[in-house]
Order: sequence, then structure tokens, then C-alpha cells
Amino acid sequence: MTIRLGGIPALLLLATASAGPATAEHLDVPNLFASVCGFCHEDGGRKAGKGPRLMNTERSDEFLRNRIAKGRPGRMPAFGKMFSDEDIDEIVAYIRALEPREEASVR
Amino acid sequence: MRKHLLLTAAVVGFAAVVPPTGPAWAVDPSRLENAAKNPNDWLMYRRSYEDWQYSPLDQINTTNVKDLKVAWTHTPGRATRGLQSMPLVADGVLYYSGSYSRLFALDAATGELIWSYIPELNEDLIAQQTHSPYNRGIALGHGNVYVGTVDGRLIAVDMKTGAPVWDTKLVDSEKLTVGFTGAPIVVKDKVLIGAQGGEWPWRGPIFGVDAKTGKKVWEFFTVAGTEEAKKTWGNESWRTGGGGGWMPGTYNQAKDIVYWGTGNPAPLYDWAGPDWETKGPRPGTNLYTSSVIALDPDTGELVSYFQELPHDAWDFDSAVGEFLRIERDGETYIVHPNKGGYVYVYDEMLNFKNAWPLVKNINFIEGVDEKGNLIGRRDMREGKHTNLCPAIAGGISWNSGTYNPKTGLYYKVGNEWCMDLEIVKTTPILEPMAQLNIGANFTFTDPEGGKAYGHVDARDPITGELAWRIDFPEPPLASLLSTGGDLLFVPDARGVLRAYDARNGTELWSQNNGLGHNGGIISYAVDGKQYITVAVGWGSLVGDAYPDLFGEPYKSMATDQGWLVTFTLPE
Ligand code: HEC
Repeated sequence: MTIRLGGIPALLLLATASAGPATAEHLDVPNLFASVCGFCHEDGGRKAGKGPRLMNTERSDEFLRNRIAKGRPGRMPAFGKMFSDEDIDEIVAYIRALEPREEASVR
Repeated sequence: MRKHLLLTAAVVGFAAVVPPTGPAWAVDPSRLENAAKNPNDWLMYRRSYEDWQYSPLDQINTTNVKDLKVAWTHTPGRATRGLQSMPLVADGVLYYSGSYSRLFALDAATGELIWSYIPELNEDLIAQQTHSPYNRGIALGHGNVYVGTVDGRLIAVDMKTGAPVWDTKLVDSEKLTVGFTGAPIVVKDKVLIGAQGGEWPWRGPIFGVDAKTGKKVWEFFTVAGTEEAKKTWGNESWRTGGGGGWMPGTYNQAKDIVYWGTGNPAPLYDWAGPDWETKGPRPGTNLYTSSVIALDPDTGELVSYFQELPHDAWDFDSAVGEFLRIERDGETYIVHPNKGGYVYVYDEMLNFKNAWPLVKNINFIEGVDEKGNLIGRRDMREGKHTNLCPAIAGGISWNSGTYNPKTGLYYKVGNEWCMDLEIVKTTPILEPMAQLNIGANFTFTDPEGGKAYGHVDARDPITGELAWRIDFPEPPLASLLSTGGDLLFVPDARGVLRAYDARNGTELWSQNNGLGHNGGIISYAVDGKQYITVAVGWGSLVGDAYPDLFGEPYKSMATDQGWLVTFTLPE
């Protein structure tokens, strides 16, 4: 089971989880970037860092899914054990929807 | 005669008695305690417990250094993320570790292989790890070579033959994803090693293990390791605290204590901003993270500590950084650099003396007062913030500087870079653990009015007074070496190894090693001949930021290669 991310208190999360099948649970992808992926994919995936910029990637969905699940040895960790296929679909949807920030602040 | 137990990768905590071997092979505790006095060897991570990263050898000097030639090279193979470790030398044999904790013993004069030991690791786990599969060094003692693994084990291998002696699983890496990348140290009859992880939601233990049997004797949690410390983690946040002591500490023989630096707490950034004492993900000062601690090496009990950054909200570990022990005017000082860019000075019991900035671009605090309190902390709430300096990679990175007792100067790399960030409320992913728990999106930026760069400073270690400085277009990321021949060696990020006059910074020699440096450098002698050995290889997580920050040659630089290069003077 993946413990969901987000500004929801952990206790509440546990309560939801034990209340029955997760229905409206969505992976909070922006939070995932702020806690894990953003270490290498900067500014929520809008900018390169240790890893490439994800916004406007020309790779296919399948490639992205595969990279997230299997990683790249010595460059990017494999997340296939942490996320379900549906979670990974949500991550890919987030990447596809990325747009530049409105402010022109960040280099 | 030796007895060996052949162990498989999965075997947990095991013992085999190793009978004493010949004197030439034994590195006993007294030899380690006197390592500084023996010019020929390099017996531990920063050469001696004084942590100077200095060799007294003077055959290679300011006049003849221009004649240095390559004596031999060696590659460990499978050098994923380069070669980040520090070789060691005892009695004409060089020992070193590569990525995946691959161990080698070589004839230190010729590079000829004596033995190798390639441990079997959990490759599935490694694929899931971020700070992996590099290894930063080994320890010698009691007839063994000791190395940690990224899958949570500490291994002892016979120094003479490379045969495994014991193999102890210390951390449940399959559950926690953390393991060991830092070098162990040998203190008396124990091997000490710290686990990884400020970014990881765990409790950063340091272990004391019986050097002969591999039995775990003690474990100190850097996160809430005492009842007092537990109170500094509101809402039981110590359970996911971080704090790994991921670089080796050192031993003070006179006081019989071990110094260790600890990692930052998790998450790295705190959305509660200035309300951190009562609110946010980890309310309180979060002892003993971003601290220097003194432990009793026999029991692992805490003897003393100083928290450099109470409630670190910037990822500025105390895990980086040597513990230089320096005598001056009848007093003994301990000098310890912190990742935030300040160098802290203590007495032997870690009572704060003063702190001085090595780095120019620092604005996470305005300063450190005469008691060691932070002045003008920049506690940032949830939301956007610009121009935080230094950047997450730190004003000071984990490789070591060097102190030269002849010049009285301390040589150390400073990094000048900043970042913009957006602090976000997050909760860690725990099952299975996704390792990182950052708490922000960030982007590296240039410091105001200039470009990101690095410098090597020559300073008084106690006062910080600057003697001279050399700028580099990108911060060098390797350890430095100074010698009794008045030389300072700087292995730079582009791959050029340079030698300077340690007294004034005049460049005397350089050699392009063909790939960035990101590991150790040592000097030793065999049969009266002095050698310099440097680790060549690129690919640490800090280095991973270079292609985007600096462009070429980093965009094209290999991160899966590494080798040792050894230099000496021609006959
Ligand atoms: C330790 C650094 C690191 C972390 C953490 C990391 N990545 Fe990556 N990522 C990389 C690197 C490096 C690459 C490029 C790999 C290659 O050479 O193909 C990459 C590639 C990708 C790609 C393919 C992009 C393309 O256009 O080729 C995707 C998608 C991706 N990462 C998503 C993620 C997600 C989602 C997370 C968090 C769950 C994440 N990454 C965490 C370093 C990282």
C-alpha cells in the first residue's frame, strides 16, 4: 500500500485507509515532487537539475512509465515497488500537464 | 594459519575468530593511535585520528614536483557514480573500495593486484536507492579491511588474502532503503560506522561493532538517542527524523571519545517557518541532528554534543566535515566545517569557541554569536522564497580539506551558489519508504551579481584569517592533500590535478586525468620512494547538478568510469 501524500494529517490518512476501499484517493503528484522527485527534477519538473526537465518531454507515455518504474541505474531510483500502475499514470498525466509558472521569476 | 568462514550475501551478523597474523600485516590499535608519526603509511580515512589529511613526506617538493610522472593506474570496474573513495596504505600495500563496495589490495609501488573481494549485494534494492551505489572508503585494523555496503552490511575481509572474515547485517535496508556509503573507522577493539540519510525518514544510527567477531556492541540513534533528545521532536516526529552520520568521525585518544557529525532532519525544509518550535512537521530543536557529538567508543553513550544548527531548516548537515585536532598555545582545538559554509571551533569536549565563514554567499543566517547561537535565522514558511544561499548542495561538501602543520594553514573548498525554492507541506512516503523527504521544490541560481563558482582557501583554522585563495570556475569536489614538501594538491572537477606551493598558492604542476575528481587523494612511501595516489571518477549527487549549472565539460562527462592514478618522481 502506498501511504498518500499531501497536507492531510497522517492520522486522518490512516482513518481513511481503514474505513474501507480507497475510492477518492488520488496520488498528490505535486507533493510527490516536493518530497521526492524534485531533488532531481527541479521546480516541480519544469526545470532540469540532476535529472532532465520533464515539462514538454518528447518521450512517449510508455517510456515515461517505464523510466519511473525501473529508474536508471546510478542516475534515477526505480519507483516501481512504491507506486501502482495507476499511480504512475497519474504521475505521467501530471508531467503532460506541466506548464511554465506565470511569474518570470525563476531562471 | 587462518580460519575463514565463507559467507553468502544474506548471512546476518556472524563471527569467526582470526588468529593474529604476521606483524607486517597487523594494524593494531596502537599503530592506529600513532598513525601521524609514521610517514610511510596512510592508515585511515584522513590518515590519522588528528584528521589532518596531511602527509609529512617531503621527497616530492616544490622544486621537483614538476617532474611527477604516472607510476601506475588501476580501475575497479563497475564504477557507477565514479570513484568516490579514499585509498589506504599499510606496509607497501594499497587497499581501496569502488562502487558496490568492491575491494582491492594492490602493490602500492606497482599497482599489481594482490587480491580483490567483490561482495554480492541486493541489486534490486540498489536500483531503488538514491544515494547509491558508491562507497567512500574503508578502515584497516586487527588484520582486516572493513567496508560498509549500501544494503546495510558491514564486512570484514582478511587484509592478507581478501578472504571474508565476517559479514554483519546492521540495517534492514530492504525496509528502510538506507545503507552505508561512508568509511568506517577502527577505534581500539571496535569498528564504527554511521548509516546514511538526512533525506530519509529514519533515525540515523551509528554502530559500534566488535572488530574481531562482527558482533554489534552498540547503536546510537542520532535522532532522539536519549530521553532528553526525544522531547525535542514534537508529535513523535523522531520516528521519521533523518540525521544519518553518513561520513566517518574520528577518535581522540587523550580523552577516549569519538567525534561524529550528524545529518540534517527530515523533511529538509519546514513549512512552519518561524513557528517551528511548536508547529510544522518536526516541532522543536530536533536533537541530535546537524550536530557534532562525542561518544564513548566502548558503549556508544553520549558524552557531549553541540548542535550547530538547532532545528536545521536548510539541509546543512554536520555530517560533512573533518574534526581537525590542533594544539595552539597550550590549548587543543577541534575544528569542524558545517555544510552551511561556517567552520566551527570547539575545545576537546565540544564546548563552542567560535565560528567563521568560509563562504561568501551565506544568507540562511546572518551570523553565529560568541556562544554559538545562530543570529538572524531565515526560517521560511510554506510558499515561494528566492535567493537562499548557499544552495542545497552546501557551501561546504563532504570531501575533506587538509591542515598543514608546517604552514599552520587549513586548505578547504568553498562553494558559492544559491537557490530559489517553494516550500510545500508534505508527508513522507513510508511503506515502502521512498527515501527522500525534501519538503520543497527548488532551482539552483547564481549568487547575486555573479556566477556560481568555487574556491580553495588557505586560512588560519582557528580564526579563519585568510592567507590566500584560488578561484575555480566550478567548485572542486574532491578531497585535498598537503604534504611535508610544502605542497598542496587540488584534484579539480574538470579532471585536472594541480600542485601548488602550500605557502603562497603558486601553481607548480598540473596533470589532466581525463575525468572529474570526486574522491580521495593520499601520499605514502614504499622502499624510500614517495607516491601520490588520487581517485579519478565523476558522478556524485552534487556533481549531477553540474551539467545543468555549468554546461560542458560536464554535459559530456562520464559518470560510470573511475580509476586510481598514482604519481611518483622518475628514477
Ligand atoms: C536522484 C535523482 C532523481 C530522482 C530522485 C528522480 N529522478 Fe527522474 N530522472 C533522473 C535522471 C538522471 C533521469 C534521466 C535518465 C536518463 O539518462 O535517461 C531521469 C528521467 C526521468 C524521466 C524521463 C524523462 C525523459 O524525458 O527522458 C521521468 C518521467 C522521470 N525521471 C520521473 C521521475 C519521477 C516521477 C520521480 C519521483 C518519483 C523521479 N523522476 C525522481 C533523476 C532522478
